[in-house]
Amino acid sequence: MITKWQICRIPIKGQHLFTGLLIAFFLLIGHVKAGVLVAPTVVFMDEHKRTGRITVQNPSDEPREVTIRMSFGLPTSDSLGNVFVNLQDSGITDIKAATSWVKPFPRKMLLQPGATQVVRFVARPPKDLVDGEYWARVVVTSQEGKTSLPSASAEGQISTVLNMIMQTAIMLKYRQGDQVAHLKLNGVEASQEDTLVNVIVDLSSTGNASYVGMMHCRLYNADKQEIGYRRFDLAVYHDLKRRVTFPIASYTNSGPYSFELFITPDGRKDIAAEYLIRGNDIEYSVTVP
Amino acid sequence: MNKKGVERKFAVVLVAAIICFSLSVNSVQAQDVATGTATATVLTALAVSAAQSLIFGNIYQGVAATIGNNIDASSGIFNILGQGSAGISISFALPQFIALADGSDRMTIGFSSTDATVDSNNTTPATVVAGDGWINVNPNLLPAATVIGAAGQTNVYLGGRIYPAVDQSAGGYSGDIILTVAYNGT
Repeated sequence: MITKWQICRIPIKGQHLFTGLLIAFFLLIGHVKAGVLVAPTVVFMDEHKRTGRITVQNPSDEPREVTIRMSFGLPTSDSLGNVFVNLQDSGITDIKAATSWVKPFPRKMLLQPGATQVVRFVARPPKDLVDGEYWARVVVTSQEGKTSLPSASAEGQISTVLNMIMQTAIMLKYRQGDQVAHLKLNGVEASQEDTLVNVIVDLSSTGNASYVGMMHCRLYNADKQEIGYRRFDLAVYHDLKRRVTFPIASYTNSGPYSFELFITPDGRKDIAAEYLIRGNDIEYSVTVP
Repeated sequence: MNKKGVERKFAVVLVAAIICFSLSVNSVQAQDVATGTATATVLTALAVSAAQSLIFGNIYQGVAATIGNNIDASSGIFNILGQGSAGISISFALPQFIALADGSDRMTIGFSSTDATVDSNNTTPATVVAGDGWINVNPNLLPAATVIGAAGQTNVYLGGRIYPAVDQSAGGYSGDIILTVAYNGT
């Protein structure tokens, strides 16, 4: 039997798998001094399975107050190819936003040291939902469970306490009907500035689902020898410009350089294969002017 | 317990042991593990923790206090653990004031454009160097190219300063520093 547990596919029952994973988590968190651990990093739901779940664990020695809220935030970029995720809690106009109709339970909890809590999500999409993929961000906020008010140690003294609050924002994807992932390459701008080659790759998602894959970038010298390689996890929801920089100080006067791009949905090991919507490959090369 | 049950328990322990071995090399990167007929795709967890608050120590009226982002004992320290080399988007929400619990007085707190350091090599505030990440960057605009370090951890160090007024009320002042982390490749 293949378990429904989202972060694994093992032919054993879910409860046993959960036990095994908890053991793994406990060993992992030996490296974590405080804060909470959230897994998986993407939640998938669809019209046949309108519930999802994440696991939140407190590996620290102190109780943690944890809140869950739904937000919206896609990877977006500026004109220079810098990629950001800006969370938006209100005024969301994207028609692909699932923020308003996916609800988490529970929304607030106090996790004792070593405790684990499963947070479930229930989707109640509109009846006339068009085929495609819809998105939201699950924001897990944690801070110390016992908020200690600062107190001056002597009369007339001033003391401060800054509460360090951690937020983890993970993607939630709800899939309706048939989905297509397709990526379009709008253009590639390559330039050389002193000891750097900068490339901006301009992409658009033209399917009704996000394109998730890997972006492989290679730089060659005039002798066609590879002198630089970069690889990125890629997720394109609407439009995205991605900047790639290669230092070439060690290869001066070995130009003209050429840049080679290969984008493929293959190679993602952080998402189980059954959740990947396979999109197209893109290959492109250009000589750096 | 029947034989099937014992085998199943053994399989769970075996898979867990393999997972734990992988994690013991300080990596939380997703990986495929194969053993016999069982194959597990263990996906990445993401953990954000505050290893240390920003500590200003004793404050005196009318005397501004500054803490750099390079002081092991008092810089604010956040740890981010996840998939090695994965791109992340990180951002701070920083206070402009900290206040007494009853709200009767507040004190200005400031962060300059060089008060943050992002360290992908898991060093310390005092020992991090330029090659480890991004040194002395703006905490209100952290680098877009930030990745989780190859070993599965990135640290963020934060400095700042507070400005007590000459008639600042005595007492304990508090405020919130919020760090938000999201993978930008999922």
